[in-house]
Amino acid sequence: MAGVRPASTDPDALSWYEATARQRVVALADPGTFQEFLPPTERRMSPHLPLFDLPRAFDDGIVVGRAALDGKTVLVAAQEGRFMGGAFGEIHGAKLVGLLRAALTLKPAAVLILFDTGGVRLQEANAGETAIAETMRAIIDVRAAGIPVIGLIGGRAGCYGGGGLIAGTCSRLAASEGGRISVSGPEVIETNKGAEEFDSRDRALVWRTMGGKHRRLIGGADAFCADSVSAFRKAALDLIGRAPAFDLATLEAEQARLESRLARFGDCRDATDVWARLGVNDPEAVPAMDTRAFDETVSRVREADHDAR
Amino acid sequence: MTEWRAERQARDARIQAGRAHADGKVVPAGSVIDLLEAVLRPGDRVCLEGDNQKQADCLARGLAACDPGKIHDLHMVQSGIVLPEHLDVFETGIAKRLDYSYSGPQGARIAKMLYGGQIQLGAVHTYLELFARYFVDLTPHVALIAGVSADRDGNLYTGPNTEDTPTVVEATAFKNGVVIAQVNQIVDTVPRVDIPGDRIDFVVEADTPFYVEPLFTRDPAAMTETQILIAMMAIKGIYAEYGIRRLNHGIGFGTAAIELLLPTYGEKLGLKGQICTHWALNPHPTLIPAIESGWVKQVHCFGSEVGMDRYIRARPDIFFTGADGSLRSNRAFCQTAGLYACDMFIGATLQIDLMGHSSTITQSRVAGFGGAPNMGSDPHGRRHPSDAWMKAGREGQIVGDPALMRGRKLVVQLVETFGEKLVPTFVETLDALELAKKIGLELAPVMIYADDVTHIVTEEGIANLLLCRDADEREQAIRGVAGYTDVGRGRDRAKVEELRARGVIRRPEDLGIEPLDADRALLAAKSIKELVHWSGGLYEPPAKFRNW
Repeated sequence: MAGVRPASTDPDALSWYEATARQRVVALADPGTFQEFLPPTERRMSPHLPLFDLPRAFDDGIVVGRAALDGKTVLVAAQEGRFMGGAFGEIHGAKLVGLLRAALTLKPAAVLILFDTGGVRLQEANAGETAIAETMRAIIDVRAAGIPVIGLIGGRAGCYGGGGLIAGTCSRLAASEGGRISVSGPEVIETNKGAEEFDSRDRALVWRTMGGKHRRLIGGADAFCADSVSAFRKAALDLIGRAPAFDLATLEAEQARLESRLARFGDCRDATDVWARLGVNDPEAVPAMDTRAFDETVSRVREADHDAR
Repeated sequence: MTEWRAERQARDARIQAGRAHADGKVVPAGSVIDLLEAVLRPGDRVCLEGDNQKQADCLARGLAACDPGKIHDLHMVQSGIVLPEHLDVFETGIAKRLDYSYSGPQGARIAKMLYGGQIQLGAVHTYLELFARYFVDLTPHVALIAGVSADRDGNLYTGPNTEDTPTVVEATAFKNGVVIAQVNQIVDTVPRVDIPGDRIDFVVEADTPFYVEPLFTRDPAAMTETQILIAMMAIKGIYAEYGIRRLNHGIGFGTAAIELLLPTYGEKLGLKGQICTHWALNPHPTLIPAIESGWVKQVHCFGSEVGMDRYIRARPDIFFTGADGSLRSNRAFCQTAGLYACDMFIGATLQIDLMGHSSTITQSRVAGFGGAPNMGSDPHGRRHPSDAWMKAGREGQIVGDPALMRGRKLVVQLVETFGEKLVPTFVETLDALELAKKIGLELAPVMIYADDVTHIVTEEGIANLLLCRDADEREQAIRGVAGYTDVGRGRDRAKVEELRARGVIRRPEDLGIEPLDADRALLAAKSIKELVHWSGGLYEPPAKFRNW
């Protein structure tokens, strides 16, 4: 009964949340155009994990390469959240940094980073932290060269720790409802501040506070996608077209935006309080909204769109 | 002269002592300790209602706070050891003896206390068995139960989570016992009378609504492709072959995967209407797609499940509901239904030995059984035939007059060869035997005995134990599906191939299943949110299961 294989490459049918890093990249790009750099056959694996008796991955949990998107050349990096939570190790980070540096000579239309990470791999702490810093530096250089860097966030591991910092340096971000963006994860907050401050097992609270809808409403993310590869592709194309310039005015605008955000919402106890202040009529209804209803809600929130970054 | 009314007089005295703290039957939450100290006597048998779902938690807190100088040496006879207070009472000396059935979350602590001798254990029962003993030799003197609401006369609405309450009250109230109910609120009129007021002596308005554990919710997002492969094998190799219409599912991910494959894989195999029509089952959220696709005719429930109430109210053709519209569950009746009216039980376990004995008890955790040993047993009192039952009977019969052949219930263990943290499921000897030795139990806590098990399904294949003709074949059939565990690697390859040729062992390819087809895309719902969509927005999952 070896019948028709489930649609694993159809961008309309493929759930971003469910897909592997490689499935995402292949389905995101124009058909047949993805070329991987340092593919698994090269066996560039972590030198550190064997010390901990931990299994390694042939690609160290990240897929990097070149592809066409609507005919234009882009560079793409995709983290594999299923391997050690998509965490940054030495090789993993080096592949991403190398890709970004290559952008300076290859001059693609954009660099896409498909985040799916819990942050730095603890077993490779120093190398991982260094990789985060190098990545942010490389993104700044790429943006300064006029190439937009777009982050796409909708994977199971979210975008946490150093991944959250890197996302903050991108030109534009797209997120789906399942995608989460933050620095400290729910368990970390609970461990440090107690379950009264943040109950990490209250998943509705976690997504309300860190999920794609909240990030979109407060302008942390610039696009909200349904959970399909085609929706992320459409968002990526759109965001490439409206990436802000990387100059002093943009940075100053971002500083002003963040300061006013803190002043306006700093005393809110819950994301729903923030949404109410943003003018959302029925904040309690936001989590259950489908994509269309949510898009309409966003269109009425002034702060959601901006040219700061 | 013989005294025939001593128990009745003792009961009257207890009630009179309790009345001092009550207004009629109603007792404020703040007076629970006073009430309990007035009603209870040292050495009493007490049922503190709690099972794998609802908990009389306000009364549990009250009991744990009683003065051990006044109330001590109680004999607890209850379904579940679930709340910390259920064990606290043994630490303080309020309670001494224990007869119970299930202890999921407290499994590790109960093991420690058993080793430490703080608990005198009678036995770990099945639900039905403990209920039976309530009417014979473990009748409670006092029952502490939980309901949704009550009126001032004590008429009780137990609502969707009725569960054990009618059984506990029946045994206590009609044998000179005292029944104390905690309710979420006192109302003028209850939505429906689940327990008539003349069986309830005191009603406590609890400070917080009673706790219910969402034990039967399995998040489709966490389902693995291995579980999907196992589910496909079970559907094609067992459900379809035997034509299983009436059944009970365990609570594991494997059976939840089966529920989610019915509208997709099951539909493709043309099995709709042929299998899985009548159920003894809690209202599993993962059954929603199969119900909505018209697979399910009816479901009787042991208890309810958090978040399912509105959905159930909207589907009275499927579920048992009261005149008020809400679910009426009843554990005793549903266990009986699972035992006598179902042709198959299928569920998971933690350990299986070389003969097929299984247990969820390990040396560090005494989880108890709940209903599995009843669901997972071949009831020798059954006297009605069905195609599935008769087919299993024919397969299992080796000798004897065919005219006197009886059927067999199918008891299927659905396991991955390695469990959580890569602990092997297949073992030479069950941990339960070691535990029994250590704490001096006369009877080892085996969940399902080998002679009741008919099939074992793993990712490596299906072993049909009915077709095994001797102990050696049985052992090799089990080793033959035990994968890379030590038990699996210890197989006799030639013998396993012979069993495979005879159809005793069947691999995915023998069933026409391509393992690469076991993809999450086959799940009718891949997330809790998709279950909400299937239900038309009627299913309201608790916060811990939402990622939106």
